Amino acid sequence: MKEEVKVTKRPGGELSSRPLYCILILDVSESMANDGKIQSLNYAIHEAIPAMKEEAAKNCEAQMLILVITFSTGAQWHISQPVRVEDFKWEDVSAGGVTDMGKALKMVADQLKTPPMPERAIPPVLVLISDGQPTDDFGSGLKALMEQRWGKKSVRVAIAMGHDANLDVLQKFIGHPEIKPLQANNPGALAGYIKWATTAVITSTINPPSQPNGPDPKIDPIVPPLPPDDPAPNDDVW
Amino acid sequence: MNQLLKIKQKVKAETSGMICEVDQFLGDGGQGEVYRAVMNGKPIALKWYYTASATRDQRLALGTIIKKGPPSDEFLWPMELVSDLGVHNFGYIMPLRPQSYKGIHDLMRRRVEPTFKVLATAGLNLVDGYHRLHSFGWCYCDISFGNVFLDPNTGEVLICDNDNVTVDGNLKGAVSGTPRFMAPEIVLGKALPSTQTDLFSLAVLLFYFFVMHHPFNGKREAAIHSFDPAAMRKLYGEKPVFIFDPDDDSNRPVPGYQDNANAFWPIYPNFFRRLFIRVFTEGVRDPSHGRVRESEWRIAMVSLRDSIIYCPICGMENFYDSEALKSTGSGCPLCWSCKKKFNLPPRIRLGGRIVMLNHDTELYPHHLHDPNSFDFSRPVAAVTKHPADPRFLGLRNLSGQKWVANSSGGKIKDIEPGQSITLAMGTKIHFGKVEGEIRV
Repeated sequence: MKEEVKVTKRPGGELSSRPLYCILILDVSESMANDGKIQSLNYAIHEAIPAMKEEAAKNCEAQMLILVITFSTGAQWHISQPVRVEDFKWEDVSAGGVTDMGKALKMVADQLKTPPMPERAIPPVLVLISDGQPTDDFGSGLKALMEQRWGKKSVRVAIAMGHDANLDVLQKFIGHPEIKPLQANNPGALAGYIKWATTAVITSTINPPSQPNGPDPKIDPIVPPLPPDDPAPNDDVW
Repeated sequence: MNQLLKIKQKVKAETSGMICEVDQFLGDGGQGEVYRAVMNGKPIALKWYYTASATRDQRLALGTIIKKGPPSDEFLWPMELVSDLGVHNFGYIMPLRPQSYKGIHDLMRRRVEPTFKVLATAGLNLVDGYHRLHSFGWCYCDISFGNVFLDPNTGEVLICDNDNVTVDGNLKGAVSGTPRFMAPEIVLGKALPSTQTDLFSLAVLLFYFFVMHHPFNGKREAAIHSFDPAAMRKLYGEKPVFIFDPDDDSNRPVPGYQDNANAFWPIYPNFFRRLFIRVFTEGVRDPSHGRVRESEWRIAMVSLRDSIIYCPICGMENFYDSEALKSTGSGCPLCWSCKKKFNLPPRIRLGGRIVMLNHDTELYPHHLHDPNSFDFSRPVAAVTKHPADPRFLGLRNLSGQKWVANSSGGKIKDIEPGQSITLAMGTKIHFGKVEGEIRV
């Protein structure tokens, strides 16, 4: 396609936008090496990227920035500096070790301090994906997260991979009575939920549906719309 | 990726019985997925609902919408319901959106750069479209960035996602939309969507078009750390203060953070800015009577277009503002871009209005004989350069009727169709129904 040369004939710049930090918190413990789970996770994230970019392009009031932390034995930042969604590329992660989820949440809590978080932003979106039980002190990790202003304000969703994930822990992480952990029992479901978490949830955080009766402290901040119909169950089941 | 429909899957249009074959997944939204499909050999758009949205009420509503048909060409309207045995849910077909149309998010991100002339044309087309919708008794309810597309070269607009339009006053269900565009009384839950609330949302969209900023995002927005629903409710519902409220400077745009507002606002003529001031001050206090009506916006968009002048030094579009020139005592506007003063171009007084005569100006039916017919495809006059000396401009008769010109020296001349009259100070031109006087 012929590239158009754009001449600016009007002043100013882009619509002013606020940053929206999307942090993926990924379980890469030993059990994720079973049944192709880690491969499915990597694949699902690769697949979600075009939709993430397309959705972000429509949300001109926000600049989506991505961070990724993985946890197994200990936790480490996979992407430690916020990457603009337009520049986001996925480098595969591999599995091995235990499930130090608490440690990951403590490190996310540090990331949500100001600085490095800016003074003004849209509530961050945290996406926790796990297939098992935390092997460290999950409670103190969650407490550290909730002690941060941006942690308290964040929108949190969780995806359980397979039936061994601890749904109570995931529900505690979400901390919202109307949002449940999503149960992904096959690669197709996982891909669908990751796409939902990084598109629909982002959009509804930037442009929340109206709450005509006022924000209810019990259900605020935001209830993202549920993911669409169950994906076609034509994949291996975990 | 998992989608509701597969490529090459066939569904049936319920009225015509024609088969619709899915060709390509285009995108998804809150209610369903949109595909490119082929029906009767022609490409078409197909929207298929998610289970949660594929309700009986939606089906009935769509039936009514389809039966009534689009209010104007600006609307990409549902054509037929589609479904099939053994396939969950249902959808509808509509024309495909041409590639030349870009989303408002592209405008906001400066990926497209229309001129002010194109923006004024787009503003007029948008207002015209909503005016037709409202005069049919419909209410749009969810005016926002995602529903409007524009051609950045011509200013034509397309209004999409029309499956939720509803009869004014009939809305009983959940409120849709986002607080940024909603009238304050809806944000607070004190009213349901109606044509009156549509007028507010339309004004917000127009403000975004022309000022590239939200009308209530000033100091108060800058003071908010976490921009969540509670913050939006306060800013857009409980105490919305227009950033340029002449009587309340508590929410002025913050330099360095909200620069678009300060960059664009001073450029526009007073008559145009007054409309925004009214809708975002009086229109907040008095939802029933304080809002700018579509008929007023239409006149304003045309006048805005007519007031465009080009800086002869840097070429940028500026606007003629007689009030501003009178108050400064200067006959020369100041260019917003190069900051130099320049002389006004020739202009013509036609009835109560003044139209700038730039090198590319055309006059249309609404200027000369039909004040309600805003049709930019049929110019009746155009500014031309004198064939012997291009420094002199003339006005060519493109209408089918003779004009009669009276020069200031007393000479009378017939200007037949195809002929031109030199733009000289004081020349009066009789166009039939209207007389114009040239100023140079």
